[in-house]
Amino acid sequence: MNFIKRFFSGMKQEDEVSEPAKVVTPGSESTVPEPIASDPVKTEAATEEERFSDAPPAPRTVLHAPAVKQGLFPESSDGILIKAQPSPTGDQCMFTVNQVLMKDCSWYFDSFESAAESSLAESLFSLDDVETVLVCEATVTVTRKDKTLVDWKALAKEIGAAIRNAVEEGQSLIADKIISTIPSEDVIREGIQKVIDEEVNPGVAGHGGQINLLAVKGNSVTIQMGGGCQGCSAADLTLKQGIHTSFRKAVPEVGAIFDETDHTAGLNPFFS
Amino acid sequence: MPRVLTFKVNIETGKQGPNEAVNFSFNGHKMPFEKVIGSNEPDAIFEGSFDVNSFAHSLTLVGPEKGKWEIEKIRVDYDCEGEKPYIVNWGAVTLDETTEVNLWQDPPVPAFDV
Repeated sequence: MNFIKRFFSGMKQEDEVSEPAKVVTPGSESTVPEPIASDPVKTEAATEEERFSDAPPAPRTVLHAPAVKQGLFPESSDGILIKAQPSPTGDQCMFTVNQVLMKDCSWYFDSFESAAESSLAESLFSLDDVETVLVCEATVTVTRKDKTLVDWKALAKEIGAAIRNAVEEGQSLIADKIISTIPSEDVIREGIQKVIDEEVNPGVAGHGGQINLLAVKGNSVTIQMGGGCQGCSAADLTLKQGIHTSFRKAVPEVGAIFDETDHTAGLNPFFS
Repeated sequence: MPRVLTFKVNIETGKQGPNEAVNFSFNGHKMPFEKVIGSNEPDAIFEGSFDVNSFAHSLTLVGPEKGKWEIEKIRVDYDCEGEKPYIVNWGAVTLDETTEVNLWQDPPVPAFDV
């Protein structure tokens, strides 16, 4: 309320200030005609013109300074440390490990069968309630089968223990056959751009939306949602159920899909 | 989108600073800081805060009306309703009369050891 009060009191002050100042020069009193009271339309229009004659301030460009990230873990730690961060929507949980699990690439496991020979994913799929697993650098993101549960505490403990065991055993966390099948960035870029142009963008164009491919690193892609998608309250659903599905169907080797859209900026932000 | 109770900034200016009043923009409304200490002249440190008590959609630091403002570091302490107070640090950025810089970051997602 303080801010609102001050904002409105500020507006009042501005209004008071923006009243046209009366300038009186010596000898001018008799020569400048006073507004005619019997012509209210003309007087009002003239006053409005004077009041709003100043051009509004030009909109400024919003810059984003580089955020200085605080480390999740203490610098000197010998053991395997794992942090769990459930997503705000509760449908997935990201586990960050203090060591790299998959260097310079990522992999998405959508079933137990896809996890064959990958000890990390196999141990996770052996737990009840694990639906999908995404391994990217030092993180593992898990979605659960039971979408009605948002409390990750119990399952996260089991997942943490499984990740720790897999890392301690020192076996191949990700199958060699997977690593060898990851295509070059150019192939990934070409395939994703094609599906964006031919499938995704024609689909979201009906809502004034647009998806842009910003970057490809390894087999991880970064996109940005623009037009009507930026600021749309259904953007998360579109991303997870529409775009992810299309990308993975067209380019099965694609790993992590990052969304760099600032949904709170622009003219049509949605409130997350 | 939490309700921001109060926020406090600490800004380190580099070699170029306008030495003028520092304003921020909350949800598009330009306001001056309160409880100001220091300035934004070269190599100086500016501190200011504001009791907002309103929901945050956007929060920016407005660039100077004239000249350039070389910022070395920005630290923002947020106190939001129902959240643990948190701090965000940003690196170097240069502002001028056509720019502003984002100061808003949602509270960090709670993390726990497993």
